Amino acid sequence: MTERQPDLLRGLAPADIAAVVALGARIALSEGATLFRLGSEASSLYLVERGRVTLTLPMQLAGREQDVLVEERLPGQMLGWSALIPPHRFTLNATAPLATELIALPRQKLLDHFAEHPQVGYTVLTNLAGIIGHRLQVLQAMWLREMQRVIELRCA
Amino acid sequence: MEMFLMGLCLSLLGVAVSAAAFAAATRDEPRHRESEAGQKLPLPAAQFFLDDAGRPAAPPRVPIEVLLLQLEHHVRLEQAAAESFLDLPTRESLHTPSSSPLVH
Repeated sequence: MTERQPDLLRGLAPADIAAVVALGARIALSEGATLFRLGSEASSLYLVERGRVTLTLPMQLAGREQDVLVEERLPGQMLGWSALIPPHRFTLNATAPLATELIALPRQKLLDHFAEHPQVGYTVLTNLAGIIGHRLQVLQAMWLREMQRVIELRCA
Repeated sequence: MEMFLMGLCLSLLGVAVSAAAFAAATRDEPRHRESEAGQKLPLPAAQFFLDDAGRPAAPPRVPIEVLLLQLEHHVRLEQAAAESFLDLPTRESLHTPSSSPLVH
């Protein structure tokens, strides 16, 4: 496990962290490997242990479809909320730009664990809400900045 | 003898008519070509150069790899700008332009 406490598990006792991590399986991605594709079924949440994961969306550039960076995930950060949110389909592409290690946490195992340990479930889901809320605020601000530019260009 | 002279006259007449027709045909041809050339030349050539002179130069084509790098850079800068707005939300920090080349 990474030295930094994962954002999803912040506030948990070390024994509880170890118990949650033990639910998962370690995955190693080689440079350029794909973790998941947009639209595929989301059955696991991922914690980045080492390396980096880039989240991209397809865009048409010069008549060709290209994956454009939307966000990045670094060690200690999580990705794949879609595993916990219906309809459980990924809405981005995730690839490793360099050799990367992750812990894949299967949704069903997590939910069963939370049912048995409600305090752990409460803390993890509170962290998840905080992470999603923060990202939403960042994207809102980015969207508003772009809208402002579009208006300035239209009125120029 | 009379028959021979009549044949000769008719032959000469035929040759004269043919010569006149040939002369007329060859006289018309260059004039026709000239007029065709006169119609074709000025318009397209003049429009072509006029359009080019009036139109602003097309922007240089950016290679796709360079464009992708610029987009990545832009996204990182815009995220950082949005994060700093969330740290200290003010109207100014929301709309301060980043140094991304895509917004200048």
